[in-house]
Amino acid sequence: MRMGFKKTLTMAKLSLSLFYFTVFSLLLSLSTSFDPENPSVRRILVIFDDASLKSSHSIFFNSLQSRGYNLDFKLSDDRNIALQRYGRYLYDSLILFSPSADSIGDGSLKLKDVMDFVDSGHDLILAANANASDFVRNVASECGADFEDDTAAVVIDHTSYSVSEIDGDHSLIASDTFIKSDVIFGRENIEAPVLFRGIGHSVNAASSLVLKVLSASPAAYSANPNSKLSKPPVLTGTSISLVSVVQARNNARVLISGSLDMFSDRFFRSSVEKAGSTYKYKKSGNEQFLMELSKWILHERGHLKAVNIRHHRLGETNEPSIYRINDDLEFSVEIYEWSGTRWEPYVADDVQVQFYMMSPYVLKTLSNDKKGLYYTSFKVPDVYGVFQFKVEYQRLGYTSLSLSKQIPVRPFKHDEYERFIPVAFPYYGGSFSTMAAFFIFSILYLYHK
Amino acid sequence: MARSTTKDAQALFNTLRSSYAATPTNLKIIDLYVIFAIFTALIQDQGIGGLYGNSWIFPIQLFSIGVLSCVGTAVLAVCLRIQVNKENKEFKDLSPERAFADFVLCNLVLHLVIMNFLG
Repeated sequence: MRMGFKKTLTMAKLSLSLFYFTVFSLLLSLSTSFDPENPSVRRILVIFDDASLKSSHSIFFNSLQSRGYNLDFKLSDDRNIALQRYGRYLYDSLILFSPSADSIGDGSLKLKDVMDFVDSGHDLILAANANASDFVRNVASECGADFEDDTAAVVIDHTSYSVSEIDGDHSLIASDTFIKSDVIFGRENIEAPVLFRGIGHSVNAASSLVLKVLSASPAAYSANPNSKLSKPPVLTGTSISLVSVVQARNNARVLISGSLDMFSDRFFRSSVEKAGSTYKYKKSGNEQFLMELSKWILHERGHLKAVNIRHHRLGETNEPSIYRINDDLEFSVEIYEWSGTRWEPYVADDVQVQFYMMSPYVLKTLSNDKKGLYYTSFKVPDVYGVFQFKVEYQRLGYTSLSLSKQIPVRPFKHDEYERFIPVAFPYYGGSFSTMAAFFIFSILYLYHK
Repeated sequence: MARSTTKDAQALFNTLRSSYAATPTNLKIIDLYVIFAIFTALIQDQGIGGLYGNSWIFPIQLFSIGVLSCVGTAVLAVCLRIQVNKENKEFKDLSPERAFADFVLCNLVLHLVIMNFLG
């Protein structure tokens, strides 16, 4: 009897541990597989056309690897380059460091493939050089950045060049005109100027999605340094963009740089002294600039998500399927920002909600509790119809939030009106006085004389 | 000319008053009742412009019921007056008692309807 009891106990223990093991392995497999809730990309394809690039740009690549990215290096003439297989993308992000290769993978990766990759929400880092190929130019112009047409031209600046280099054509530019954005560059200021040597591009005026993150000084121009300038250069001044970023409407992010050298170890480690200033920085701003920018490009920063849109009548907790005109309601939504490892509360005081039917009837700024919960309360307008709660949040550097939730609003039912209203007292009085008059009249009429 | 017009009007008014003095008392009571009803209706009409202006929250249903009760009262009273008037030969077969009973019944229906609409 006792033995039997012990036996069942051990069996129960065994099955329990088996169960735990199954659950544990299931959890493990879940945590290692790709998580759609995790916007930071993990697999990156790096295409380069010079075998030495891997070592000459090692700091940049190593920092990406140390941040947890799997880099897959492929030479641009590798025939096995493919972004997708069986309709699924093999990579989450693409780094195109092959400025001179006219065809990638012997034609296996076409412009359309790259653009489809971006269109499906993946990120792209593109670096060009002087003598950039048509392929690179076309990718950039599809994204809204037009590189200088003259293949021999580079950006030249006789006022803000870097004096630490000996070459005299002033094509090594030290620029510190960054776009002002905490979300793109992080909270720390970039003190040292960024070294740049390469071609400039202009931002397509028709595209509202492209941002100049690093622009040239007003004295810069784009020309061939080895020939005499016979006619005025096409690209001049601050309209030259050295580095641009694009955030597409699907929140894919693209970095376009006119210089591949700016990613190199030599530029990262180089000291910099801007012409005209006496202060010599021990280290250029390139590393900080590109690290912070790559964090933004790879969605480690500035990626928002909104969850748990809730609304209910004031004093209730359940979400009604319909509101009545003039109801008081409470609306709340939670907004989080991806920090690269986890979702953290997003804190801002400019998130607004619209109560919308063809046009916003109510527009209210949401208050927040610093833990990601945004809330407000308002009165449903005196108009019935099918409304929407809308949150349209577009801020520089942040992914755009566009939420809407439909809710109908009905008028009063016939028995929901007030029975007697004060404004109608003259009419009540009139009606009752005729009744009283009828009574008095009847008595008078019947009993006179 | 003007003098004679005033005189004519006065003469007309006097004739009217003297011949109205000959009207039986029961008809006079009915007239008073009709005047009261019309006056009440006019007071309520004044309310539209005076109290509310062009405000669209004006309670149009209640206003119409208030005025209709006065109008209905006046119409029924006039009908009664036609029927009980001795000089009116059209209803000589109809007894005044029957006429008054009709009047009371119609009034009851009218006021029942009005009570229903009031709220």
